[in-house]
Amino acid sequence: MSGRTPAARPLFQNFKPKSPNYQMKRNTPRKPGLAWLSLFGCTLMGAGLASAPAEVTNVEIVHYFSVQGQTDALNQVQKDFEAANPDIKIHYTYVPFAQLVSRTLQMAAVHKPPAIAAIDNPDVLRIAKAGILKDISAEVSKFPVWNEIYPGPKAAVSDGSKVYGMPIGSNSLAIFYNKKMFADAGVSSPPKTWAELTEAATKTTKPPVYGIVFSAVNTEESTWQWEPFLWSNGGSLGELDSENARAALQLWVDWVKKGLASRDVVNWDQGDVPNQFETGRAAMMEIGPWRLGTVKKSGIDFGITTIPVPKEGEKPVVPLGGEVWCVLKGDSKVEQAAIKFIEFTQEPERLRKICDTFNYISSIRSVAQQQGQANADLLPFVEQMDTARARSQDGGAQYPAISLAARTAIQKALTGQGSVEAALKEAAAKIKPLLGTK
Amino acid sequence: MMKLNARTPPNDPPAVRVPDGKPAVADQPRLAGRKRPRFDTMPYLFILPCVLFCLILLLYPVVYSLTLSFRQATVDTFVSGDMPFNGLIQYQAALADPVFWRAVINTVLFAFFSILFQFTIGFLLALLFQVNFPLKNLCLALLLIPWVSPVLTAANIFKGLFNEAGPINQFAHLVGLGPFPWLANPAYAFPATIVANIWIGFPFNFVLLYAGMRSIPVDVYEAARIDGAHYWQRVAKITLPMLKPVSVAVLMLGTIYTVKVFDLVWIMTGGGPANATHLLSTYAYQVGFSLLNFGEAAAIATLMVLLVLLLNLLQLLLRRA
Repeated sequence: MSGRTPAARPLFQNFKPKSPNYQMKRNTPRKPGLAWLSLFGCTLMGAGLASAPAEVTNVEIVHYFSVQGQTDALNQVQKDFEAANPDIKIHYTYVPFAQLVSRTLQMAAVHKPPAIAAIDNPDVLRIAKAGILKDISAEVSKFPVWNEIYPGPKAAVSDGSKVYGMPIGSNSLAIFYNKKMFADAGVSSPPKTWAELTEAATKTTKPPVYGIVFSAVNTEESTWQWEPFLWSNGGSLGELDSENARAALQLWVDWVKKGLASRDVVNWDQGDVPNQFETGRAAMMEIGPWRLGTVKKSGIDFGITTIPVPKEGEKPVVPLGGEVWCVLKGDSKVEQAAIKFIEFTQEPERLRKICDTFNYISSIRSVAQQQGQANADLLPFVEQMDTARARSQDGGAQYPAISLAARTAIQKALTGQGSVEAALKEAAAKIKPLLGTK
Repeated sequence: MMKLNARTPPNDPPAVRVPDGKPAVADQPRLAGRKRPRFDTMPYLFILPCVLFCLILLLYPVVYSLTLSFRQATVDTFVSGDMPFNGLIQYQAALADPVFWRAVINTVLFAFFSILFQFTIGFLLALLFQVNFPLKNLCLALLLIPWVSPVLTAANIFKGLFNEAGPINQFAHLVGLGPFPWLANPAYAFPATIVANIWIGFPFNFVLLYAGMRSIPVDVYEAARIDGAHYWQRVAKITLPMLKPVSVAVLMLGTIYTVKVFDLVWIMTGGGPANATHLLSTYAYQVGFSLLNFGEAAAIATLMVLLVLLLNLLQLLLRRA
């Protein structure tokens, strides 16, 4: 209505049929005129849309990136790509993290799949099993960067013969340490082995400061945070009743029992963990490169070291994080446009820019090495890329169910509801039928 | 149903009325002499949006979820849409899982203790607010804060409060207790989530009971006072019985609200540690969206609805008894 007055009553009066204002509005010919005009406009627009697809291919991309730097990078790529390919239009659709998989499945189920989905790497092979992802092995083999992809990310996107996507970039875990707390406690060098790690944690634990903080919350985060220790010790989720797995979990349980880590780790997710570190309540934390920006902002003088290994000279084996561009089966023209877009993102210089703004390590060796040379904070993560494993290498499509059993064991042992052996044995009994082993 | 009749002229002169207020008899034959009104579609058109809304947005999802619970709906079958019927297999799988039974027991205990304390606190506060005291309206507004604050915020605050180095343990330390592993130990974590839920839910009980008490006629109390009934006698013999219709509604809504709590527990503990705090809602979510076993999650959700019905039925029986 036109009369926007501060008091409520005059505004209300406008709606009264007897109000002269209302009458005037009713009888004025301008209103239907406007309606017709807007209807006409809509028709024009509709006609415009209807005639356009003859030339323009629309590529819809679903993703869950919401951090400013990430969205900026995506928008820049879109701008550059559309300038180079005027016949293709990119549309980003944001979906919250927890809903991405179910939403993508839904869209495919009603035959309106997005052209591309940015899927979390452990989910790729599982979703491929549903038959909605296009095998792009023929296309990616022509990408110049494909020969340089690290073995871990490669395993995440392919089941051996078929390839279901191209990694955007990777991340993993390392140990961040507070340099001042290390110096105060007389720890001269960052820990390289489990023994050194426990020693450093013991020395730096000065209530209320804990020596180390990690996440053992009842989500995938706890399995993912434990895997570096399990895998570096030669264990696997498929054999949780092995001695390798027992020792890896015992390491965590001992930290909590001795008070080097808070009992609350079973409730801390990967947001709470850096909060403890950044506010000076922990001397070390296990976290990934995505947090670098905030840690720097906290003003804490920190260093980063690779995940300590059981014995000196061994290589740390960390799980891979990061998303994968996956093409969904659909209209062949859209599929081709989607592949074109993915290829565009994989040009080395552009790929490096994307990974830098995402704080990811490129899954392509030469690009990752450039990143490490330019930014010392990323170096430990780059070093770990050679031996890093995809989580789907440990259980394939059954990974989520296996991970669930594993983290129940982690939580049981950490909260003292059972011995490490008993908790792991129970988990192993649940996992073996899933894998079809005995 | 709508009583509107579009064909009645709006300016019909009022019927001649006899002094006692009823329409005059002379008015009747005129109505009877009219032709039988033909079927009037207008009222049905008016309620059509509402009916469509109910059918599409309320009934359809319920029916869909129910059918899903009898089908093998996983990642592999969901997209192709050929989710084959597999009878009661998913119900059997759910019932055979010890975590499911833990979740059932937790849900019942969670609802019982939440409502017990929410109702008691709400009732006592409502009694207090029948008395006039300075700053009453301010206190009234402050008491509503838990109810209007987003659960997401409240849950995160409670997570911080129950932190091992958090304020609650610091207070316990002052009086020489603790530190308690509030959320880190299954034995403490579950009561901690109940405490948080009581805080969130008591204002709802309070407001409804407060309004209910205000509608009880004052003269009943005055009569009782003259008869020599003291305060708690009046509460027990007048307030409680006369508040029964309101209490029944509060308890029933409270049961529904409490059984479907999800976000609070999900944020505070994620159902952990070691599945100790799973409610049926968080467990169904985990099965559905973490394991992507939609069929079994639907089965659990159906069982959860049955539980709500059962609990309300139990209340009904208890009230009759």
